[in-house]
Amino acid sequence: MNYDVLIIGSGLGGLECGALLAKRGLKVLVLERSNQPGGCMQSFRRGGLRYDTGLHYVGGLAPGQAVHKAFAQLGLLDLPWERMDEEFDHIIIGGRHFTFHQGYEAFAEGLAKDFPHQREALQSYVWRLQHITAADMEVSAYDYLRQTFSDELLLNVVSAAAMKTELRRESLPLFNFAHTCASYIESSWRLKGDGNLLVNKLISTIQEAGGEVRTDSKVVRLTETDGRITSAACADGQSYEAEWFISDIHPAVLCQMLEECPSVRKAFRRRMEAAENTNGMFTVQLAIKPGALRYFAYNVFVYDEPNVWTMAEENNPVKGVMISARTPEDETDTLRQIDLLTPMPWEECKAWADTKVGRRGDGYKALCRQKTEQCIALAEQYIPGLRGMVEQCYTSTPLTYRDYLGSPEGGAFGMRKDCRTPMLSFHSVGTPLPNLLLTGQSIILPGIEGVTMTAFETCSRITP
Amino acid sequence: MTREEIIAEINAELAEEFEIDEAAITPDAPIYQTLELDSLSLVDLIGIVQTKYGVLISKAELPTIKTFAQLYDYIEQHQK
Repeated sequence: MNYDVLIIGSGLGGLECGALLAKRGLKVLVLERSNQPGGCMQSFRRGGLRYDTGLHYVGGLAPGQAVHKAFAQLGLLDLPWERMDEEFDHIIIGGRHFTFHQGYEAFAEGLAKDFPHQREALQSYVWRLQHITAADMEVSAYDYLRQTFSDELLLNVVSAAAMKTELRRESLPLFNFAHTCASYIESSWRLKGDGNLLVNKLISTIQEAGGEVRTDSKVVRLTETDGRITSAACADGQSYEAEWFISDIHPAVLCQMLEECPSVRKAFRRRMEAAENTNGMFTVQLAIKPGALRYFAYNVFVYDEPNVWTMAEENNPVKGVMISARTPEDETDTLRQIDLLTPMPWEECKAWADTKVGRRGDGYKALCRQKTEQCIALAEQYIPGLRGMVEQCYTSTPLTYRDYLGSPEGGAFGMRKDCRTPMLSFHSVGTPLPNLLLTGQSIILPGIEGVTMTAFETCSRITP
Repeated sequence: MTREEIIAEINAELAEEFEIDEAAITPDAPIYQTLELDSLSLVDLIGIVQTKYGVLISKAELPTIKTFAQLYDYIEQHQK
């Protein structure tokens, strides 16, 4: 069977490319190595509840905003999106409480009430967020914030909700930091339901247009003929031919499939394999006893001290945590699920790198228990008595992400971007083979907005 | 490193990484044609120089490097 486009990997980027191209009339095949599609968007069931792996909230979904336009084309606006509270992010640092308001003006004015001496700096900051260009890939986010805010606490407050990217002083480009923050300030939304709603919608779009999504189909080798990729061979012996190939997997993993391709020289492979990966996350997923806790339509970020930019490097014991509440799907005003997230560098779990899910041993279990206790203790600064409300608790580490999602070193945001080496760390969607393209969070920007924008860029190379 | 050491090392590295005959790399040879560079593989060259010598070729200075001799000069002048 011949296809117009074969997509390796069914993460958000792969499915979005599949849906876009299928809607444009191309015959699409998506191959997923695991038994469940969706990558970071997939959810899993435990004890009658569904838990998300990577979806917490989405920015820029109001009419006229960037993600709204993209999701309209992808048919994702029909999903049950719920706008979060006007005060969508609550920040607690050292016991002091601050809030982020939706809308740039409201955001700046809201924080100016706590930091009146920094009103002009806040206005300058929100203006800058709205005027980000590719040149900001070379600008250090941390240096920019230091030049903008003289108040160290405010610098930490405006950065506190950016736990959804890798906050790293020496490398994070302003381009990434601003994209991570801006769309949520424009408007913030949660899905009433789990990430599989989004995954299933994209798959339906692909299928309705005549495309296919196959799970348990691990691509092991791509074959080059006359300077183009012509077929993908899977571990189960199946082989598929296509005109175009899109990789939605980590580029280093893709390179393993290209070893027999003469057009891919060692220099390209080594650059992709040597690229640094971002930190992973430790996630605690809590089932809350029915009726024990009222739902709150905002996120809470709790930090022991104003060390938001260095916390990931010294996060043992845990010094900062994001609390994300799951929107109730019944008519009650109480919630059933809460996620607690904190950065976790690969080094912290590297000792168990050779182990597999469910067989990592007592030392690993003890580490997870200890970190869970620390996350809950921090979260109790906002939800007193949380420990007593917990019915069930599940944890994941960078090892979990690595084993389920194929992300090397369990990096939560793919390959690291570095403002000092933008040419090396921001990647083209192109490859040495003209009909093999890249997409996904490692290429330009992570996050739902970043991956979606990258998917549009990838598809523009096929159907301009 | 001396200039001779840089030349010997980078020539061997470039021949290996770009899969060409090392004999084709001479000081006055045009770097783009010899290594068959396009906009994508140019980034690979920058990556090799950065990883090997800690020397980052800036976007502004890229156009000044047209021959291997100019690449050796750049590495020699910028290496730490």
